Amino acid sequence: MSVESPCLQARDLAVSLGGRVVLKGVNFVLRPNEVAVIEGPSGSGKSTFLRALATLEPLSHGSLLLEGREASALSVMAYRVRVAYVPQFPVMFAGDVAANVRAGPRLRGVELSDERVSQLLREVSMDPAMHTRVARDLSGGEKQRVAIARALANEPKVILFDEPTSALDPTVTDQILSLILACATKGRAVLVVTHLAAQADRLGGARYECRGGHIESKGA
Amino acid sequence: MNYIDIAPWRLLIVLALVLVTSLVVSRRARLQLEKELVVGIFRGALQLLAVGYVLVVLFAAQRAAWVFLMLSVMLGVGAWTSAHRVESGPPLRILLPRALLAIFVGSVAALLPVFAFVIQPDPIFDGRTIIPISGMIVANAMNVVAQVNERIFANAKAERTEIEQWLALGATPKQALEKYVRNALRSALIPTINGLLTVGLVSLPGMMTGQIMSGIAPEHAIRYQLVIMYQLVVVAAVSGAVSAWLARRTLFNAQGQLQLFG
Repeated sequence: MSVESPCLQARDLAVSLGGRVVLKGVNFVLRPNEVAVIEGPSGSGKSTFLRALATLEPLSHGSLLLEGREASALSVMAYRVRVAYVPQFPVMFAGDVAANVRAGPRLRGVELSDERVSQLLREVSMDPAMHTRVARDLSGGEKQRVAIARALANEPKVILFDEPTSALDPTVTDQILSLILACATKGRAVLVVTHLAAQADRLGGARYECRGGHIESKGA
Repeated sequence: MNYIDIAPWRLLIVLALVLVTSLVVSRRARLQLEKELVVGIFRGALQLLAVGYVLVVLFAAQRAAWVFLMLSVMLGVGAWTSAHRVESGPPLRILLPRALLAIFVGSVAALLPVFAFVIQPDPIFDGRTIIPISGMIVANAMNVVAQVNERIFANAKAERTEIEQWLALGATPKQALEKYVRNALRSALIPTINGLLTVGLVSLPGMMTGQIMSGIAPEHAIRYQLVIMYQLVVVAAVSGAVSAWLARRTLFNAQGQLQLFG
């Protein structure tokens, strides 16, 4: 695979929810190390698009390609390990921060070492000493960081963020956006959905707009 | 034979008592169960009256087809009642066959060994042996299946975000739903386990007490009761497990996507 070949690609994608067509004829390409942003008003279908890319919504038409391979050729679980999804309000699982960070690999019988957990916490600018804190007692910003560390623990090729800072204050928002930018390294691509143009400006990269069930490029 | 004779007018006193107490509690606590209570109180009486005479005919006739018909009615009504009680689940047309299958499998698992090796009916379709035990077993399965379905479907709806986050991390549907299935099965099994722990101390089983009152030696009545109680655990475990398995298959499509209802 060449460096510039897409990480993730949507071809002629359509999604219907409850009999209503939400997305139709969507073509989209995400390349390695790229940070792309999809803007659009509430209800435009941008979050549905992200959920479709995460295979949490059924496609009524079209296909997904991960690193040039049809997603349907992979098991859905294997695809989701490679394409991480961080929802708008991440739910912390029961237990401490370390248990949350270990959750993904543990599903496949892989136990992350203490050093790896500390490393992941440092990557999201958290003090590794926080690994024993009860995850559900954390602040909104800390939960968002743990959710990112939890996603990174699976070593995904793509991370999808749905309105990642919608409930955070401006200082924490800026820190989280910096973390999101830092995720787009080592060939990993990042796609962020937001309704805030200022956030899209801050993230830079390729910009798209979701409107009327279509996703159109707005340039960089 | 000793029995307690209750005159019809005395039964009316009990009827008045149950109506007044249950309706007062329902009204004051705003349970909105008044209609269901009244229907239940009168329907229960009519059903018992009807089945009492049906059993007399059925026990006397010793016809395999009639016993089979009675068992089918028990299964059908049990499945319908169980599926109908689930508020957060899929429509009745989806839930009913699943409830029927779960109750049937659990009941067969509990009853077949008993009728084959422990209490062998003579003749093989002896209604007096088969129907009373089957009724208790099917009734327990009905309650367990209703509880398991209600809890799993309600939790899937309430905890959708958490379940989908597990899926997004690469969890199989089984892994994503594991916590809720475990909690549902535990809750559904607790009444049956409590029954085992308190039998003789809190509750005195009607079947055993009735047999002793009618002159059967206690050791025979006790053995019979033990068989029933142990098989109530078997049916609760098997019907609960089958029901949970079917609920999981209903909640996820082939692509491992959560499908909610209602």
